[in-house]
Amino acid sequence: MTATSVPVRPAPQASRAVPLGLARLLRVELRRNAMPFVLPLIALVFWFDSYRIAATMPPLWAERLFYIFGQGHSLIDFAPFVAGVAAWVGSRDGRRGLTDLLTTSVRPRFAVQFATWAATTIWAVVGYLVMMAATLWALSRPITYGAPPYWPLAVGAVGVAAFSAAGFAAGAFFPTRFTAPVAAFGALLACGTSSQIGFHEGSGWSLILPTNSNNNFGQDAGVFYQFLPDLPVARVMFLAGIAVALIALLGVPVTAGGRRMRRTATVVCAAGAALAITAVALATTATVSSYGAVIPALHDAANDRPIPYTPVCASAGIRVCVQPAYRPWLAEVSAALRPVAAQLSGLPGGPARTAQVASLFAVRGQPDLGPASGPVQIATISGQPAVLYLPLGAMNLPGAFGLRRADFLDAIKLQTVHAFVVAGSGYSNPAQVAVEAALMKNAGIPLATQVTTAWPPSPWRLPFAATGSGRGPRSQADYPAQLASAATRFAALPAATRHAWLASHLAALRAGQLTLAQLP
Amino acid sequence: MTAADLHRPAPEAAPPPAAGPVPGWLRLAWLYLVSRRAPAAVAVLAGLGAVLWTSLHWHWDVAGGAAARQAIPLSVEAGAAMVIAVTCYGPFGEPERATGRWLPYLRLGAAVLLTAVAFGALAAGAAAGGLPDGILALLRNVTGMIGTGLLAAAILGGALGWAAPLVYLVLAEGALANGATTPWAWPARPPHDLGGALCAGVVFAAGLLATTVRGARESVRD
Repeated sequence: MTATSVPVRPAPQASRAVPLGLARLLRVELRRNAMPFVLPLIALVFWFDSYRIAATMPPLWAERLFYIFGQGHSLIDFAPFVAGVAAWVGSRDGRRGLTDLLTTSVRPRFAVQFATWAATTIWAVVGYLVMMAATLWALSRPITYGAPPYWPLAVGAVGVAAFSAAGFAAGAFFPTRFTAPVAAFGALLACGTSSQIGFHEGSGWSLILPTNSNNNFGQDAGVFYQFLPDLPVARVMFLAGIAVALIALLGVPVTAGGRRMRRTATVVCAAGAALAITAVALATTATVSSYGAVIPALHDAANDRPIPYTPVCASAGIRVCVQPAYRPWLAEVSAALRPVAAQLSGLPGGPARTAQVASLFAVRGQPDLGPASGPVQIATISGQPAVLYLPLGAMNLPGAFGLRRADFLDAIKLQTVHAFVVAGSGYSNPAQVAVEAALMKNAGIPLATQVTTAWPPSPWRLPFAATGSGRGPRSQADYPAQLASAATRFAALPAATRHAWLASHLAALRAGQLTLAQLP
Repeated sequence: MTAADLHRPAPEAAPPPAAGPVPGWLRLAWLYLVSRRAPAAVAVLAGLGAVLWTSLHWHWDVAGGAAARQAIPLSVEAGAAMVIAVTCYGPFGEPERATGRWLPYLRLGAAVLLTAVAFGALAAGAAAGGLPDGILALLRNVTGMIGTGLLAAAILGGALGWAAPLVYLVLAEGALANGATTPWAWPARPPHDLGGALCAGVVFAAGLLATTVRGARESVRD
């Protein structure tokens, strides 16, 4: 066989050559991409920084995913590494002095760059999705109710693509070996700044940041009502717009390709920027509803329907019913209510049963607790026979953010006593506080620790609190002596005497007409 | 032209450099540093020093506890380590390794020199005052993190050496937030703690040894 006898290979058809060539290029880039080397490091960081903490949270989706999706730690853990690797890959041609050579090759330089970026992004996004799938599976094991929100997952995936685009563009335009660490460092700073803003801003443009959980993640979302997708949709638009604009920017320079391609790239770049700006504008129109931030232009009224459920109940002297997702804490709620209900039983306004109500993002129709208290939700007693409406809230469960079981029980006792004595209003006069202190003492919270443990997490500021954050008298270690004495005296009364006194003086006590001296 | 002619320079060739006051080893070291973009690295390190100075001078605060208080200084220290890690990467590969018998010494010298520059730049930045735990902790933290970068350069490749200090930063911040006491999380230890200093020193020494003997790993995935 000679060279001339080798059969001539048919030339590929022109129409198939371009997509086949691009697919081959993408395959080559996928095989030799640096991202797979970094994915194990990202997995280590994600496990340490996010999963390890989420796995210790109470088994509710809103709680367990608060850190990962709500505060955006899944993206924070990925972004610096993805940006750094993308910058390194994007700067490859420039660092090796191949820019001129590639510019004069048959394929437009932009097509080559796009294939390289696409390969890097595919590795990063697939890695992200695989890690999130494993995370959701692992976190779901003790969860018995509901489903995770999937829109924040999409936000993270598009966010990874956006950071990949940002890093790649930085590497392509500034091809030095320092671009990768600088891009990674820049992404770290961007995520850190975004995270800081997300800690205290709950409205306006800052809602577009994927690290901002305020007014859109937490409370009882996924239990009593849906996770509203309005903000996540706007965030996907924002991040996708950034990704598209930055990648299309690579097609704008003269060296990127032909005139038509450059014009198209310019239009796409502008469209991406417009999409991102539109998303920010949409975020500024958001209003906070009971179920979270609502963007009128993106809102679907179907998401406002509460999730139907059949409550699960137990007895604590009175009937106690909670949403089925809270079944693991029903025994604790009952244990907290039993000693309080025993003291209030038969009194006017004493609850005949307890029903859990949803913890909401915007609470309306509740007593004004003053500007320092912020948006809080408190227990109320209403109806005939009286029902105690008790919000538990996923964020207040034992184990959440270091909250102890005792704190959880104390909060229920205080909420119930306060709802009974002063109908949940903010200010309590000394006699009211003394009666509440006595009731709580007999419910198992020692008088000496009430001021330091039970009151501080509550939304009420005690009248004798000199300073503080508006969340209780943190600066005061104990009740004033006169008040403590009255409370001790009242708590020491025989149960029947105390019950009879309350039955006859409750109206005056609630109206704030009694003084400490008038307590028995 | 015969082989014998090669002993003489061609008439049109540039004259050999005049024997000046610069010794050969110094010129070699300079060329090595230039090939690793050390001058640019020094500029970036100076920039990081300026960032540290600015953050301390203007009291950039991060909300939170010990981890938040250290967040900016530790990030800047990690940034310095990331920059030094990528200077390990060499563009010449096999020819350099085959011909450069001074290569291990050059690698060692460059790493030590840049570490000194990084510490100097950050110490100058810390002159603004208010650096948590002081200069001694800065020295410990920055050398330890540079050690992680050098180790990663030897294992993952010079191209990805920057990733290790970033990983260590996240782990150290987590250790600070959780109140961990292991000496391997040296930023969480007091400045005069011997265990933390030893661990940081061991990591730095291991990184120096790895890059000196092996150099940065080269990967076809660069």
